[in-house]
Amino acid sequence: MGEPKRHRILMVSDFFYPNFGGVENHIYYLSQCLLKLGHKVVVMTHAYGNRSGVRYMTGGLKVYYVPWKPFLMQNTLPTFYGTLPIIRTILIREKISLVHGHQAFSTLCHEALMHSRTMGCRVVFTDHSLYGFGDVGSIHMNKVLQFTLADVSQAICVSHTSKENTVLRSGLPPEKVFVISNAVDTAMFKPALERPSDNEIVIVVISRLVYRKGADLLVEVIPEVCRLYPNVRFIVGGDGPKRVRLEQMREKHSLQDRVEMLGAVPHARVRSVLISGHIFLNSSLTEAFCIAILEAASCGLLTVSTRVGGVPEVLPDDMVVLAEPDPSDMVLAINKAISILPTIDPQVMHDRMKKLYNWHDVAKRTEIVYDRALKCSNQSLLERLSRYLSCGAWAGKLFCLVVVIDFLLFRLLQLWQPAEDIEVVPDILLSQGEDKRDADKLRVFNGDQCLK
Amino acid sequence: MAECGIFDKKYSYIHDRKWGSEAADAHHIIVRKSHAKGFLVYLSPILLLASAFHLFLFKDNITITFWNSLLIAFLVKLLLQKPVEKVMPAFGVQLETHRGSKIVRRFVPIDKILKPVLSECVTPVTCYWSLSFIIRGEAELMLVFKEVCPPVKVLVPIWKALCAAIGSEGILGTPTADAP
Repeated sequence: MGEPKRHRILMVSDFFYPNFGGVENHIYYLSQCLLKLGHKVVVMTHAYGNRSGVRYMTGGLKVYYVPWKPFLMQNTLPTFYGTLPIIRTILIREKISLVHGHQAFSTLCHEALMHSRTMGCRVVFTDHSLYGFGDVGSIHMNKVLQFTLADVSQAICVSHTSKENTVLRSGLPPEKVFVISNAVDTAMFKPALERPSDNEIVIVVISRLVYRKGADLLVEVIPEVCRLYPNVRFIVGGDGPKRVRLEQMREKHSLQDRVEMLGAVPHARVRSVLISGHIFLNSSLTEAFCIAILEAASCGLLTVSTRVGGVPEVLPDDMVVLAEPDPSDMVLAINKAISILPTIDPQVMHDRMKKLYNWHDVAKRTEIVYDRALKCSNQSLLERLSRYLSCGAWAGKLFCLVVVIDFLLFRLLQLWQPAEDIEVVPDILLSQGEDKRDADKLRVFNGDQCLK
Repeated sequence: MAECGIFDKKYSYIHDRKWGSEAADAHHIIVRKSHAKGFLVYLSPILLLASAFHLFLFKDNITITFWNSLLIAFLVKLLLQKPVEKVMPAFGVQLETHRGSKIVRRFVPIDKILKPVLSECVTPVTCYWSLSFIIRGEAELMLVFKEVCPPVKVLVPIWKALCAAIGSEGILGTPTADAP
C-alpha cells in the first residue's frame, strides 16, 4: 500500500477566529487535526477589525485575513467577481489542491467555491445549519446554494437531518453528501473535581439570546420550574436581543435571587460556568447539530433539550432528555431530568464522550471525503455549464452566464498576471518536541534551497 | 567586484562589493521598463491631447483643455519607472531611491534596527512579500521598499545580508502566533 497522499487544503469561510461559534470551532479543530495528519491547511477569511493580513495560529496554521470589510452579520459584501484575483493568487502561491468551503450563509465561501471550480480545483462544501423553504430569505439562500452545489465535488453535513435538509434545498444527489458530525475538545471540557452540592439544583443555559435559540421558551419555562421546585436555581449565560425579555421576566416574578444573568460568556470561561451546574438546558428552535450539548455532556451535565433538527442524533438516550419546543413539555422534561439526576456520574459521562466524539476521528473521515473529491474527473467548461442549466428555467441560464463571465475574467487575469509571476510560498515546518523557544523558530525550505 | 543576476522580467538585482564587505555592502534593485507600459505611457497622453483639442475646436472650451493637460502631465509622471538602490554601510543602512536624476535617501542607524523581517502582505486583490525593519521603540514596521514589490528571491539575499550585518538570526516573517 502506498503512502497516504498529502493534501493541500484551503478552508474558506466568513466565520473564523477571533469569532467564536460552532462553525469557527469546527474549522479550527478540523484544521489542527488535518495538520497533525500531515496535510497542509490554509484558512481564508475576511479581516476582523485590525486583524488583517497573514497570521499563524497554533501548529503553524496559516490564516489569510483578506481586507474585505464585512457588511452584514459578519458576511463579506457579495461582489461575484471581486474576490477572483485574491483567491487565484492564494490558490497559486499555496499550491492548493482542494478548497473546502464552510457554511451556506457565507458569501466568501460561495464566491471562493465558484472561482476555484473555474480554476479547475476540486471543492468540498460543509453545511452547518438548517434552513427553511417557505420564507423569502430561505428561497434566495437555497437558490444560491443550488448554484454553488451544482458543481461541487463532494459535500459534508453535520447530521443526517442536515443531510436531508441540504439535499432537498440544493437538489444535490444524496450519494455525494457525507455525514460527519462535529466533535468536542474533551481535554478542555472536563467535569469539576468536586460536583456542586445537591442541596440545590442548578440549571445552566448558555446560548445566544435570540429567537432561533428559543429564548422566548425560556421566558415561559423558568418561572414555572421555579414555582414547582423551590430548590432549583438558573444560571443564564449569553447575550442578544431577547435578553431584555428574560430580565423583565425575572423582575415580574421576583426571581432575582434564583435566576442569575451572566451576560456574554467568553469561550474560555464556558467550562467554568458549566461545571457550576447539574443540568444543561437547550431550548433551540432549530439546530443542525448543537455542539453546546456536547460540551455540557463532556463536563458531566445531564442535558434537557428540544427535540429539533439534528439534536436527537447527538447524545445517547441516557444522557439527554428530549422535549417538544413547548413550555409545558419542557417543564415535564426538566422534572424527569431532576428525578434521574442522582443516577448521573459526571466522570463516567465525560469518559463516554471521549470515546464517542473526537476531532481526530472527524479529520480522518474528512480525509476520506477529500480523497474521493480528488478522484472526481476534471470537467470542461461545457460539461460544467450543463449542470448549471438544470438548476431552473431562468435560474439555470443566469447561473451559466455568471460562470461564463467568471471564466472570461479568469482568462483575462491569466494574461494580465500569468501564474509564473505569482511566487509560490515555501512550506513551513514547525519543530516538534523541542522547548518553546526553539519551537517558535520556523525552518523554511524552498525545494533544495534552505533560507535559514 | 559585482554580482549580477536577472531574476525577473521586471526586476534586476546587483550585489555590489566594490568597497569591500566590511566598509559597505550595496544591493541594487533595478526596475526595468516594460515595453507595453512604455507604449501606454506615450500613447495615452497623445489620445488625451487629441480629445482635448477636439473638444476645444468644437466646443471652444479652454477649461477642459487645461484640465486635460494637467491630467496628461500627472499620468506621464506617475507611469515612468523608478530604479531602486540600497546601500548598507557597516554603521547603518542607507536606503536610496533613484528616479531619473532625483535621489531620495533614508538612513537608519544600525542600533535602531531590532530585526529585518520578510513578511507577507495581503491586499484586497493580491499578496506579496515585503522586507521591513522592526525599529526599536516604534510600533510600526519600516518598509524598505515602499513603492515597488520585488519578488522574494530578490529580497532573500538582501534580508540575509541585513541579518548578518545586524548580527541577528534570520527568522522568516516573525509570525504572530494566535491561540483561540
